Amino acid sequence: MMEPLRLIHNWRQALWQIPVVIIVAVILALSINGFRQTPLPLVGDWSAAARMTTVSGEYLDISIGDAARLFREKAAVFMDARSAADYSKGHIQGALNLPWQEVDQLFLTVMAELPPDTPIVTYCDGETCSLSHDLAIFLRDMGYVNVKVLVNGWTVWKEADLPVDEKNMVPG
Amino acid sequence: MKRTEGMGNKRVRPSKAGLFLAGRLFLGGILIYAGIGKITASSLFAEVVYNYQILPNALVNLTALVLPWIEMVLGILLIGGIWLPGAVLLTNILLLTFSGILVFNFSRGLNISCGCFSNEPSTDPISLWTVMRDVSFLIPAFYLLFAKRTETSSGE
Repeated sequence: MMEPLRLIHNWRQALWQIPVVIIVAVILALSINGFRQTPLPLVGDWSAAARMTTVSGEYLDISIGDAARLFREKAAVFMDARSAADYSKGHIQGALNLPWQEVDQLFLTVMAELPPDTPIVTYCDGETCSLSHDLAIFLRDMGYVNVKVLVNGWTVWKEADLPVDEKNMVPG
Repeated sequence: MKRTEGMGNKRVRPSKAGLFLAGRLFLGGILIYAGIGKITASSLFAEVVYNYQILPNALVNLTALVLPWIEMVLGILLIGGIWLPGAVLLTNILLLTFSGILVFNFSRGLNISCGCFSNEPSTDPISLWTVMRDVSFLIPAFYLLFAKRTETSSGE
């Protein structure tokens, strides 16, 4: 073999191989996607409104005002989708913790006493945090019909100075 | 450090070739495994890409479609020993990019799924573990790039 000993020395070959690899990948990706029953659109609609809409066209998100009203009237159960560690550092007062990461194990325990028509508000932290959204969809699939998402919930809740349970006040 | 007597000059050459082959197979396998999951559920993977909040929205779906295929093609090339200079270099670039993005998102505390091997948000949140795992893949990748190869260049 005439090639130099180290791969790094063959950068001239890499120079044409890399673009070819990428082109092949693009061709494969687009053609396989094209054959799908439901191809992924090449440019998706990732606006907040579109992401918070269910398949049936229903809005999932709830405003902080509506959430606060439900809270005051004790008309909804708040569901913290973050990890137990985040939850224990602080959460919406009286919120239950159903970490999305462990939803399979904890679902039955956490949801045991909640009838399917219980109004539920899920939340996590951060504008782009998807845990609450994923949890809401999951709960809907499990038959809970009144689930809403408070986007960026923990942050907006604190900003609105609404009641919280802070560290070491974790209910059992 | 004293060398063991008797082993002297007879360094075992094939072990280096073996290590090189092992590195190729390992990384190739990892890449194919990572690629398949994302190809079969591309809309879920698009969600993962979106959540990373790195790309403009217009590029999210395209990336979600093409990236897994790059992983697949690279995996096949690595295992087959084809086009190694390009495949190994691109693998390094890819892994470096992934690691960088993971570290970036881990350090800004984004509450999202790694999406490295699974699209399920519940199974693989970004943690120190996922960051270390990705960084550790760079070890064989660097090795393939910089190791002196004692065998012929294409795999057999």
